[in-house]
Amino acid sequence: MKAVARVRRTWIVNGEERKLSVAPMRRLLDILRADLGLYGAKEGCGEGECGACTVLINGEPRVACLTVAAQIPDGTEILTIEGLADTAEGRILQEAFVSGGAVQCGFCIPGMLMAAYALLLNNSEPSEEDVRRALAGNLCRCTGYVNIVKAVLAAARRLNETHRAESQGEQA
Amino acid sequence: MSSAESSRCFFPESVEEIITLLAEGNNRTCLLCGGTDLLVQWHSGVTAPPETVIVINAVPELKVLREEEGHLVIGAALSHRALAVSELVRSRLPALAAAAADVGAVQIQNSGTIGGNVANASPAADLVPPLLAAGAAVIAAGPRGRRRIPMESFLRGYRSIDLADDEFILHFEVPVLPAGGRESFHKLGSRAAQAISKVAAACRVVVEDGRVREAAVAMGSVAPTAIRLPEVEKILSGRPLDSSTIQEATEAARAAVRPIDDIRSTAEYRRWAAGSLVELMLEELSGTAP
Repeated sequence: MKAVARVRRTWIVNGEERKLSVAPMRRLLDILRADLGLYGAKEGCGEGECGACTVLINGEPRVACLTVAAQIPDGTEILTIEGLADTAEGRILQEAFVSGGAVQCGFCIPGMLMAAYALLLNNSEPSEEDVRRALAGNLCRCTGYVNIVKAVLAAARRLNETHRAESQGEQA
Repeated sequence: MSSAESSRCFFPESVEEIITLLAEGNNRTCLLCGGTDLLVQWHSGVTAPPETVIVINAVPELKVLREEEGHLVIGAALSHRALAVSELVRSRLPALAAAAADVGAVQIQNSGTIGGNVANASPAADLVPPLLAAGAAVIAAGPRGRRRIPMESFLRGYRSIDLADDEFILHFEVPVLPAGGRESFHKLGSRAAQAISKVAAACRVVVEDGRVREAAVAMGSVAPTAIRLPEVEKILSGRPLDSSTIQEATEAARAAVRPIDDIRSTAEYRRWAAGSLVELMLEELSGTAP
């Protein structure tokens, strides 16, 4: 077996197939921002504390600063805030954050939204405690979190209403 | 390209391939799985990145999780999240499941692994007290074959573990909770998430006819390695979990620990908190927790 200095990878990034040839130890955060031009994931601390670079890897929230190309096999689905923005859930979360005053400087918000979306994928009726736990790995230095937590709860209610309306529409 | 990107990588697909690669490696060779400790060190420059990285997160044998003959076999590459949500782990090893659910935050739990938590050799590793309290053993592999090492002797000293340069952790064998057994895990940090523990504690008791038949109490961040507290276990043995037993055990824990002052806390606080965690766990296990 020979050690490799470059790896070829094909990932599904925000629903699109992307082919890359990168150093195996290159951070996913650098690949997203510098190689793929996706600037939504932010570098805050660079050591997994702040959550500003949170993305979903096969549906699981991970920090892109502590993930390298070598760890991500071919065919992996990666969702960033740019991809979330194109979904119904993303638009509902965005609206809840904006109308709820959950955004101040905005630096942490892409990571917050990805972590919130990951929660809602697995828990359609989260309690306030569930939301606080799901966002515990995302730091915000502006808001004090209260409106962020309220916004996620509001988005969950809104999503459930939307789903109910849709299923009633199908029955009718 | 940052210096941490200059490492070359191997991608073994089996345990045998890892053994061969490690045997051919040198002191500039390193295994990588979840990376939540190593990537921080390499990218911050605290530790120079290795020349060669052996990436092991795709090796199936390192991800086993099964019950056999009274213990769980837990692969070293299983993530904290995998343990925290596993019904098998939650029912058979509730303290380990609770510790895994309390590591970092969900992002770190999805990446970090039980093998890494132990191999990183920190006295503050959250998964170690529950492993100690359950009487777990490490199964290591290397060119001289496989070895079974009881957790207590695996932890040799501060930042030192019983693992040769050409060996790695394959899996853990963890005795499951016996009939009548109960477990508790608690940790204290500056905040519930992300903070490295000031003190972490796990306890397993087996109660029979209202009396403690077996007791195991383990603690992290109160000595150079995580430790069992035999002084506390002796007090519990054969007695009901009533308030006088719990009070004695609490005092014994404070007398037994050997904590230090450091960046996260003081020895005095840790000594007091060690007793309070024992009190909290025992009250919880006796059903008298407020």
